[in-house]
Amino acid sequence: MFEPCRDVVCSFWSYLNQGPMTLTIFLHTLIVLPMIWIYFDEKKRLERGDIPNE
Amino acid sequence: MAQKVSVWTSNRFWRRSATWITGVASVLLILLTFDSMAQMKMGTAEDIAKKIDKRIPSPLVINYTIEYKLDPYRGHEIPIIGGEMQRKEGGIKSAYEKKEKFFGRDDYTEEEARALIHKGKLTIQAKNCMDCHTLLGNGAYYAPDLTKAWLDPTWETLAPAFNGKEYAMAAFLQDPPKMAMHERKMPNLGITEEEAKAVVAYLKFMSAIDTNGFPRNFGKIKGAVDARK
Repeated sequence: MFEPCRDVVCSFWSYLNQGPMTLTIFLHTLIVLPMIWIYFDEKKRLERGDIPNE
Repeated sequence: MAQKVSVWTSNRFWRRSATWITGVASVLLILLTFDSMAQMKMGTAEDIAKKIDKRIPSPLVINYTIEYKLDPYRGHEIPIIGGEMQRKEGGIKSAYEKKEKFFGRDDYTEEEARALIHKGKLTIQAKNCMDCHTLLGNGAYYAPDLTKAWLDPTWETLAPAFNGKEYAMAAFLQDPPKMAMHERKMPNLGITEEEAKAVVAYLKFMSAIDTNGFPRNFGKIKGAVDARK
């Protein structure tokens, strides 16, 4: 999964974009994990009933 | 007991998620823009002297031989400029040693080469080559892809008759109908001798740009290019 960079000019992004797995893990870490946290945070608030009806 | 709730139908959940995703995507795009700018920076004579590969090499590459070879380390074809050498980590890379005459010279200075390529680029824009051809992934597919046109084997077969493939390409550009080699004939665009020379310099330079192996197998698939054979 973690291979040495094989791009012409290496950068942080070229490491990430070497295969689908690294990019998937990166984007999940940045987008999906926080969304899961947001989900449970909202659930907690709704259960407490401290969110006014919109 | 906790109240039964539905997060999926909560506006707040979707709003917060959308805000987060938009924010992350914006920051990513800004960072990627800076990365692209660094990747697109043209190489210099110093890079060539030190044998440092750049995605877009110095214009000086018109003084060197250019080939397109499979590099097992990178996993695709790469431009080999001035002969090949072994890379430390494996595979092959450009050696920047083997020179070849380009319109009778192999000692273009960086300024001369840059001016020539720039004139070629202006000509390509002025004549709207992209109306039919593709350059670096942009343009049309009515006529052959020009990204690696310099490496099209057709020019090798014509080279002896013209005393070099750059002369054959320049002659073709000045009067394409006379040397038509496709059923879709290129019209005469009134390209002058100086402009033709500059366009050929641009095409040679473009073939030395590392395009991550695009177009794959260029020049090796019969019928795709090299229609005369």
